[in-house]
Amino acid sequence: MNLISRGTSAVACAASLLLAAGPLTGAVGVEAAGGADIRLAGSGASFPAPFYKRLVAEYQQLHPNILIDYASIGSGGGIKNITDKTVDFAGSDAPMSKKELEAAGGSDNLIEIPSCAGGVVPTYNLPGVKGDIRFTGELLADIYMGKVTRWNDRAIASLNHGLSLPDTAITPVWRTDGSGTTFIFTNYLATQSEEFTSTIGMGKQVKWPLGQGGKGNEGVTAVVQKTPGALGYVEQGYADNNDLAYGYVQNRDGNMVKASPESVSMAGAGAVSQMSGAILAADIWNQPGSDAYPIASFTYLIVYRDLNNLESKQEAQALVDFLWWATHEGQKFAEELDYAPLAEPVQKKVEGALRMLTYKGERLNVGQ
Amino acid sequence: MAGLARMGAVSILMMLAALLVVLSIAAWPSIEEYGLKFLVSTDWRPNELNVPMKDAAGRVIIEDGEVVMETIPPSFGALPVIYGTAVSSLLALLIAVPLSFGAALFLVRLCPRRLIGSISFLVEFLAAIPSIAYGMWGLFVLGPVMQNYIEPGLHAALSWIPGVNAWLFEDTVRRGSTVVTSEIPLTGSDMFTGGVVLAIMILPIITAISRDVLKNVPRAQIEGTLALGATWWQSSWEMLRYSRSALFGAVMLGLARASGETMAITMVIGNNNQINPSLFAPAQTMSSLLANEFAEASTEIHRAALCEVALILLIMSLLFNVVARWLVVGKGSRTAAAF
Repeated sequence: MNLISRGTSAVACAASLLLAAGPLTGAVGVEAAGGADIRLAGSGASFPAPFYKRLVAEYQQLHPNILIDYASIGSGGGIKNITDKTVDFAGSDAPMSKKELEAAGGSDNLIEIPSCAGGVVPTYNLPGVKGDIRFTGELLADIYMGKVTRWNDRAIASLNHGLSLPDTAITPVWRTDGSGTTFIFTNYLATQSEEFTSTIGMGKQVKWPLGQGGKGNEGVTAVVQKTPGALGYVEQGYADNNDLAYGYVQNRDGNMVKASPESVSMAGAGAVSQMSGAILAADIWNQPGSDAYPIASFTYLIVYRDLNNLESKQEAQALVDFLWWATHEGQKFAEELDYAPLAEPVQKKVEGALRMLTYKGERLNVGQ
Repeated sequence: MAGLARMGAVSILMMLAALLVVLSIAAWPSIEEYGLKFLVSTDWRPNELNVPMKDAAGRVIIEDGEVVMETIPPSFGALPVIYGTAVSSLLALLIAVPLSFGAALFLVRLCPRRLIGSISFLVEFLAAIPSIAYGMWGLFVLGPVMQNYIEPGLHAALSWIPGVNAWLFEDTVRRGSTVVTSEIPLTGSDMFTGGVVLAIMILPIITAISRDVLKNVPRAQIEGTLALGATWWQSSWEMLRYSRSALFGAVMLGLARASGETMAITMVIGNNNQINPSLFAPAQTMSSLLANEFAEASTEIHRAALCEVALILLIMSLLFNVVARWLVVGKGSRTAAAF
């Protein structure tokens, strides 16, 4: 088990980040010596971890006296840690369930905000096929249920006029480890096929009836790349960084859309009417919008609504400032790392939620 | 000082007891829910299913124009991973035992004196390589070789034998009323590769112990067989027979290591919770299941089921080790030095 130690590991981690900051290092020494440093710890989802680590590193350069540590131990671990109050904030790919909210003191006790969105793309290995393949959600569900088994099946050919598809067996590839990626993918497919919902269902981990598994995005990619005819699903950022071929997916409006930070952001904007209050959980798969990419999801940051689990008001203020920065200026790093930044209407909802934060009943300065 | 030593011994026992207790408590919800069925069920589905509710006649129930849905809770059965652990470990033994015994006989009877030290060192060095290194080698080096050369080669060489093609290279799935037979894609991430990597990992321990065991065969015994006119092979066979229970113990220790191995096997076995008779299909062991699922297991029952798997694994390795030690140390008294 990966436990968060607020002591040495946070310091060591922060120290290495500060060294990376270069010219600022000297100034940091002075501030730290003044005893002004604040330490914040977070843990949870691994899907947004590269984004959070970047946020923390950039924030450290701006505020050398605030040391933040994010451990990517998985969404389940993050929720457990925030429930036990061993961390100050948690990251989770799936919104907290009713039961999890209750365990942490009820939905009035917490704030859950999206930090960015991510898309999941169908990637495939078809040597000799030029051009991107077009999919519908129903087709993807049928492939993963074993109802469409060959690439030259009519169901695929009718969507892809002009592409000559080989008579190769389709090997569906999936994640063997529990993951937010599987959560998004299965939840989307469930909106497209009732049979999928009742035979495979949705979750971070499901029982697939056929195909091959890989551990992590890299494991799925490895299996896809060495299996001609394989079809897998990976995060869009991962697919872009590794130059994987991936296809278009038909969205709710009937348009074929390729995943990109913009098209995933559009999906987030489409869900804004579902969001209100402090728990800003919204399902953003299969959203309306002509350019919205359909296989998308938010990833969330969770904190207590009253930050009395922190040691001082100063610490609570630092956490609020960081959250505000992460969901505003920090969003530009999301796009750099191929996550989808929050659309403006979503950002407005996040601001509303952050304004509810207090420390032992006292108001905190938000957004200044 | 004696008190300190005693405390050390007691604390080790207490750690073991604590492990068992903590795991049992963590596994309790699963033990309570599934009982013995856990050991024989092949269903491993961590998510809930929402399915249309059906009446006794199998018709979908519709109320007020809407299909009534029911929630089927997650279901956990450990048989596929028990099978995966057993088969991959046995495969490893099948490959490693003849090689280890051969190497041990060579070291004891044939090896030039000046080479014994360096060869023994190299064999033991294999045991010191971290298991993640074996895993990476298995994934990036052995896997592609298996996929591109060895597995297609075996396919070409064996598939003419009646039954072998259907057993090793084809998958038959029943979907409703139709039976679909498909070729298993050879990926190099399967039970076979897993077994080979495990074999390499358990070679050193079996070799080292069998070498010490064979070294302790009384000289008179060997000379006796030679005096009776036995060939080199026949007298070697006698040596093996003489120390068979201690050698069996060495094999059991190898088995204990193979069944608990995690990092390397997770990288090469394909991680699929299924019982497929083919060695070229991806499989899952108890330890690789834990490595795959523990981090994101978010429901209590899922975590409990994983803890129960860990508990079974712990008890199994304990049994292997106890039997092995009893065979090596308890019976052949002088070979105690092997440990």
